[in-house]
Amino acid sequence: MSELLFQTALKELEERKEDIRPSDVVLFSEPLRSALNFVIRLGRFSLTEFAEKLEFTRDQSKQLADILVARNLFAVSRFSNAEETFYESRLSAMTRPLSRPPSDIWKKID
Amino acid sequence: MSKIVSIHSFRGGTGKSNTTANIAALLAADGARVCVVDTDINSPGIHVLFNLDETEMVHSLNDYLWGKCSIEEAAHDVTGHIGGEIKGQVFLIPSSIKAGEIARILREGYDVGLLNDGFRDVVEKLELDYLLIDTHPGLNEETLLSIAISNALVIILRPDQQDYQGTAVTVDVAKKLDVPKLLMLVNKVPNSLDPEDVRTRVEQTYGATVAAVLPHSDEMMSLASSGIFSIRFPDSAVTKGLRSLVDQLKD
Repeated sequence: MSELLFQTALKELEERKEDIRPSDVVLFSEPLRSALNFVIRLGRFSLTEFAEKLEFTRDQSKQLADILVARNLFAVSRFSNAEETFYESRLSAMTRPLSRPPSDIWKKID
Repeated sequence: MSKIVSIHSFRGGTGKSNTTANIAALLAADGARVCVVDTDINSPGIHVLFNLDETEMVHSLNDYLWGKCSIEEAAHDVTGHIGGEIKGQVFLIPSSIKAGEIARILREGYDVGLLNDGFRDVVEKLELDYLLIDTHPGLNEETLLSIAISNALVIILRPDQQDYQGTAVTVDVAKKLDVPKLLMLVNKVPNSLDPEDVRTRVEQTYGATVAAVLPHSDEMMSLASSGIFSIRFPDSAVTKGLRSLVDQLKD
């Protein structure tokens, strides 16, 4: 069951070709949605905390975290060390141009 | 531990800014360090409640978003403007009220995420107990981001059919974003309605706690945003309701 949930989460993230914003989280299925809500609110968190919230293995959680780093929702924190990776949830868009927020927000809520 | 609280409503005119200003004043009166951010860039107004004149605004939120200043440089200490006995401190990050600057930000836009990064920075830099985000009405990327990082969300509505419908969407989104504390505030309730009936109806409709039901107040209308109501009228039924809301935010 856990493997199925992991594959679903992986697929949902891999399908995203653009940056993922915190508000995009409402579109994801569980347990990814709740885990992301939790860590985004924390701001700074460890891979261990992320994995515990997801209830996936550490390797699985790392795989998801790597995609989230690539999609600019997470950034690897300078506090990371050999034993633990720390992340910071990113709210600002370094790769998105300065522009008025798009009006497609309602699609996310439907 | 610091708390970020968003005050939101689906529609305009529900009393967000007044409520935000009063929450700030009541928290600070009890000794807290509080900062209020006016994120209603299109139609800023909460600075009026804090008697912060345009000439006193050294920097605004707009300046931060344009990279002209740090977020803490845009924070003005308005504690002395509130009146009453304030043991803590209140800061305000106002949005610019200059027409040209409002027009510019609407035309050019801004990085919504930068706004939220600023929230986290200012909590650290000013060593805040509470950051209150006075959001603009309705759901869009900005308000969703504010809700996503908030520890508590106060949703304000009036006992009005338009408010009831739209609020359902907001509550649904807030639950999807797992806001740790969701409180409803029913405002401007006419005397003809029984407050407990209103409370029951709202709680049953949305499955969320009603922190307070505030009666329509002629005193509030007469004050007309010229000051902080709970400081001017400490014994009013409205102030009692606001204190109840503040107590629930502190828990």
